[in-house]
Amino acid sequence: MSQLDILDVPAKVISVDRREGDAFRAILYAPEIASRAKPMQFINVRVQESLDPLLRRPFSLSDVNPHVGTIEITWMVVGRGTKMMTQWKPNQTVHVLGPLGNGVGPDFLENKRKLILLAGGTGFAPIQLLGVRAREKGVDTILIYGAKSRHLLMNTDRLKEVGCKICTCTEDGSYGSKGLVTDMAELQLELIAEEKIDPENLVALGCGPTPMLAAIKNLFADTNIPLYISLESKMACGYGLCQGCAVRAVDPQRGYYRVCTDGPVFLAKDVELESE
Amino acid sequence: MDLSVDVGGFVVKNPVIAASGVLGYGEEYARVGNIDWFGAVTVKGTTLRPRHGNCPPRIWETPSGLLNSIGLQNPGVDEVITHYLPQLAQFDVPIIVNISGETYEEFQEIAKKLADCPHVTALEVNVSCPNVESGGMAFGTDPGSCYRATRAVRRNWPGPLIVKLTPNVTNISEMAKAAVDAGATCVSLINTLLGMAIDIQNKRPALGNIKGGLSGPAVKPVAVRCVWEVFQSVSVPVIGMGGVFSWEDALEFIMAGASAVALGTAVLVDPYAPKKIVDGIQSYCESNGIDSMSSIVGIAQV
Repeated sequence: MSQLDILDVPAKVISVDRREGDAFRAILYAPEIASRAKPMQFINVRVQESLDPLLRRPFSLSDVNPHVGTIEITWMVVGRGTKMMTQWKPNQTVHVLGPLGNGVGPDFLENKRKLILLAGGTGFAPIQLLGVRAREKGVDTILIYGAKSRHLLMNTDRLKEVGCKICTCTEDGSYGSKGLVTDMAELQLELIAEEKIDPENLVALGCGPTPMLAAIKNLFADTNIPLYISLESKMACGYGLCQGCAVRAVDPQRGYYRVCTDGPVFLAKDVELESE
Repeated sequence: MDLSVDVGGFVVKNPVIAASGVLGYGEEYARVGNIDWFGAVTVKGTTLRPRHGNCPPRIWETPSGLLNSIGLQNPGVDEVITHYLPQLAQFDVPIIVNISGETYEEFQEIAKKLADCPHVTALEVNVSCPNVESGGMAFGTDPGSCYRATRAVRRNWPGPLIVKLTPNVTNISEMAKAAVDAGATCVSLINTLLGMAIDIQNKRPALGNIKGGLSGPAVKPVAVRCVWEVFQSVSVPVIGMGGVFSWEDALEFIMAGASAVALGTAVLVDPYAPKKIVDGIQSYCESNGIDSMSSIVGIAQV
């Protein structure tokens, strides 16, 4: 049994700021987590020290700086917990459990020449960290990012700075191209096909709303490019105890996976998505 | 100070037990905390055959509460015996296996299999799960059925026998008496309260299985009242549970009549809860001149 690799730490809030559109960003000082976290892992945060709201809230890490000991989460307000978090003040302490979930290890980019990232809405948050890490390794990275409307897009400057190619779209056409992530992904896949890269040297990862993930799963099913998806779910514990965050497995023998510990990153072909 | 207490045929080193369903088989929790912080560990509801569990969504937060409809997801008793119990037995903590049958015969068969397993200290008969179609709570809402389910287990299980009761009844004491008459050496209560919620964004029930079980601080006063009543009506030890989040909560249950408490939802929110609660009970006892747990069990009874 692996022992004590997940910690519940009192993390100091360094800053909370409103980003572009509806997004908020908090930087927390949690060196024990920053030194362990892999891209696409998450933390389970106690919004405040009271029994209401009762449960922690899971957030993927949008950035990690092990040198200074900080972690970053980026979110939009969807309910009471996420609203309360916008009121966090610098120097206050919040309890952070992590790092949680499988994340992606160094082998994820092994032998890869190109990484295709697909993000919808707040699904961009963990994608940002993966994109940064991929660029550090010199992997050619393209981000296809969409949302319903401009105010639901997160700031992508961090990826732009590290040399990631970015294609943005909105459903209402208020920013970037008008259309869906799938439409843009289809176009980009045609361009990538022209580059004649061996599919073994390509890898794709998507994070966003379930209908988007279902659509890109269909799209990639016609290619030989491995597609991973990172799922989101309501969770209680976040580390495998409660079985609350179940997602149906394609393999009927398997029944359900737990998003928290079997995921959040899955091979798209292994999980049943609701809108399929 | 010695915090040990007898819970009906076996002694726990401290009165804080992991409730069924909250610790899996130990491997996940061992990544975060120490299993031996607990006085005993209850293994998740185990059935004769594997169960994949209910359709998601399975959890929904309510004010100071948690609705769940997991649906007894487990790999089945054979796999639990061969794979999971040996792994959990590495820790120096008594193992209680919570068992759930769809029929009396199933209860009897599961008990027989576990009686041959060296790692099991006690069985907890689940006559109170609100999240399964057959069996479950149905056994625990009628004294005759509660008696028969307990009897079926007793036939094949000679050791400590706990019956876990549901609060979804008019008179929980009747169920406790039926369980004790059938051979229970301890009763544990409460299982979750049947509840539901509507997701107004989707205009549908919040849980995939529509109804679920409510746990957490929201149910604590109901649980304390049930412990109080059951303590008066049976002579076997009571394990109290339902919203125990702090050492103060634990002492409330103990003073109402519980010999020990079990933590469920609290562990999901705070993995270090068992340690904090044990330490809190310890310092309360020391500063109040209490020298044994048994001296305060039911002390508030009037």
